[in-house]
Amino acid sequence: MTALLGSRSDVPTDVRPGTTPVPRRRRRRFTVESTAPLLLVFPAIAILLVFRVYPLILGVNFSFTGDQELNGVFIGLDNYVTLMNDVRFHAAARNVIVVLLFVPIEVFVAGILATFIFLKVPGHRFYRSVYFLPVVLSPIIIGAIFNIVLAANGPLNELNRAVGLPIVDWLGQSNSALPSVLGVHIWATFGMALVIFLAGFSTVDQELLDAARIDGATLPQTIWYVVIPELSQTIQFVFVTTTIGMLTGLFGLLYTMTAGGPGAASYLPEFLIWKLNGEAKPALASAASVVLLLLILVIGLLQIRVLRRATKEV
Amino acid sequence: MKRMINSAALGLAAALTLTACGGASAGGGTGGGSGTDGGTADKLVVWNWGAADDAAAAFQEDVIATFNEQNPDVEVEVVSQPFDQYYTLLGSAIEAGTGPDVALFNGGTQLKSRAGSLVPVTDELADITGDLAGWPAFQADGETYSAPMFLQGFPIYYNKAIFEAAGLDPEAPPTTWEELGAACDTITSSTDVSCFALGNKEGLGIEFFLSGFGSGIFTAEEYDAWIDGERDWTSEHARQVLTMWSESSADGWYNEGANSTAMFNDSFDIFSGAKAAMVIGLSSGIAHWKQFDEFLGDDLGFMMPVTTNEGTTLALPIEGGIGYGVLNEDKKDLAVDWIKATVERDAQADYALAGGQIVSNTTVELDTDIASAQAIITELPGSKPLLHTSLSGDTLDLLHRLGQQLLVGEVTVDEAAAQLQASEG
Repeated sequence: MTALLGSRSDVPTDVRPGTTPVPRRRRRRFTVESTAPLLLVFPAIAILLVFRVYPLILGVNFSFTGDQELNGVFIGLDNYVTLMNDVRFHAAARNVIVVLLFVPIEVFVAGILATFIFLKVPGHRFYRSVYFLPVVLSPIIIGAIFNIVLAANGPLNELNRAVGLPIVDWLGQSNSALPSVLGVHIWATFGMALVIFLAGFSTVDQELLDAARIDGATLPQTIWYVVIPELSQTIQFVFVTTTIGMLTGLFGLLYTMTAGGPGAASYLPEFLIWKLNGEAKPALASAASVVLLLLILVIGLLQIRVLRRATKEV
Repeated sequence: MKRMINSAALGLAAALTLTACGGASAGGGTGGGSGTDGGTADKLVVWNWGAADDAAAAFQEDVIATFNEQNPDVEVEVVSQPFDQYYTLLGSAIEAGTGPDVALFNGGTQLKSRAGSLVPVTDELADITGDLAGWPAFQADGETYSAPMFLQGFPIYYNKAIFEAAGLDPEAPPTTWEELGAACDTITSSTDVSCFALGNKEGLGIEFFLSGFGSGIFTAEEYDAWIDGERDWTSEHARQVLTMWSESSADGWYNEGANSTAMFNDSFDIFSGAKAAMVIGLSSGIAHWKQFDEFLGDDLGFMMPVTTNEGTTLALPIEGGIGYGVLNEDKKDLAVDWIKATVERDAQADYALAGGQIVSNTTVELDTDIASAQAIITELPGSKPLLHTSLSGDTLDLLHRLGQQLLVGEVTVDEAAAQLQASEG
């Protein structure tokens, strides 16, 4: 008790010597000042909870139940075991790695083209709009266009034929189907990454660039020691959004261009989820969704960590 | 970042805690249903996957009119659901007790696997049994669950003009596998078109091949056993189907890039556009005699499957395509009237011509001079059900994927047969 009193006496008060000590009043919990911010953010949080978190929890919950005659019955991890034994799931998981290999390509393409535009190459305004144009096209339309372009008797193969290269059924062969779709995806979406890069360039400190020039830094040195560290936040952001875009935004192209085939060669988790749902196995599809969620979470966090080191951000 | 991990962990923990409360039952009502356990007597709720064209819409109006002649005070509410989600939505609605009174089903696996939810109408339909063909696809365990509206089959169509150009007799199409192989060699070497049009992007090609050529490969006993569920993919003749499929591709029968060509409708367009000599098409709905006739006219020919093995009996592969099943016991009488309206002679006769259907009502005379349609009808008496519609969904999906891999030589016949056998369980 004395200790408690002693500790209390340590609390600094605004009592000044010579004034009568005022008995301390307990702070009121619910003042306008303390509740107003909560009230103001409540709608946003409520929307997030009701439309994002709650369905997510329902989905996870649903993935522990069975399908068809076992509808609504708790079956533990059976759906996850089924997934682990499904060749399509194996193919989808393998293909995620292929997709990740294409992420640096898209970031590099966007980065290098953004640099050219930043350096104001002749016609940079024209190129900026041209690069961004495919972003506004629907994946279904892009898929339909490239179905024709990449067809066995399509223009690309005609070009091959004209220069004496072999004909390739780009979308009908296991080793070329997914890379073709990813190539088209990069073409269709790098414009967005490019715009983000351009926004990032505008934040590069001109004084640092000038200082580097005065110190006699070469162009590669300037890029490596000044521009990349300055753009580290932007590069991180582009990497993460491009990865998420590739993992969750390929459905339209896959659906129109390969339908997952040949075999399961171009299956991705997202396509598998849709396919399983169509096979009247919504609970199994939920399990696949949970795996995809975890996968994106882990990959996203790892990427941020790796990129922080790579871009030398302190 | 720590906060991200913490909140993710929190979310998962909350999810796992909730799991203990038991599984979520699938979806609620998907609208339209008056409920299987009640509802008003003067309304019949019908689910289908919509009318594809004007002819189908006109047919639906005819059916409603026929139904209302007998039940003038009953309102028919037709709810169209998207086909790719149809059975998922229907399953959820039945589960939640908000299913329709009658629903459209594909014959074969789709109907038989749901026989438990359906009301048998064996006695009620007994009086029209003799008038219709294609019943087996709508029967299970000795009970009848629906009446077939149309017959769906996989006839082989060919282009007589291309046969003639290749120096083949257009009136005597091949009758054995060897003759077919020789004809394909002649066509590919003497013309610049492919022998068969094939679209295998969705993997459907191999099921058309299996059902299209099956009766010439399997003996009658094997065929019937297959339909009854006794299937052995590692047997000689089942493996032969896979080998023939693989070799026909290696021998260059198909258009370039078959694996990246959509069956509906790119491959059928190849045949309609006279860029392939033959195609395994359909008998009703789409890719049928009427559609091809518009492009090829008198050059359109129909041929039966070819004899591959001795001791087989060639049969046109065709069965009841679609029909309405009864879900609400309380409205069984109205539902039976609805089913009978869908197979009523006049409505079917009109739709057969307008929409290009081989209808189930055998009293309907197809009033067309399209020779291939008449030839298909001539073969109906000896016809057999389709081999692929008796497969489970899982096996069929695997078959689609293996079909694509066999076509480009990425899997061997033995491996494919073993995987298929394993999927049969």
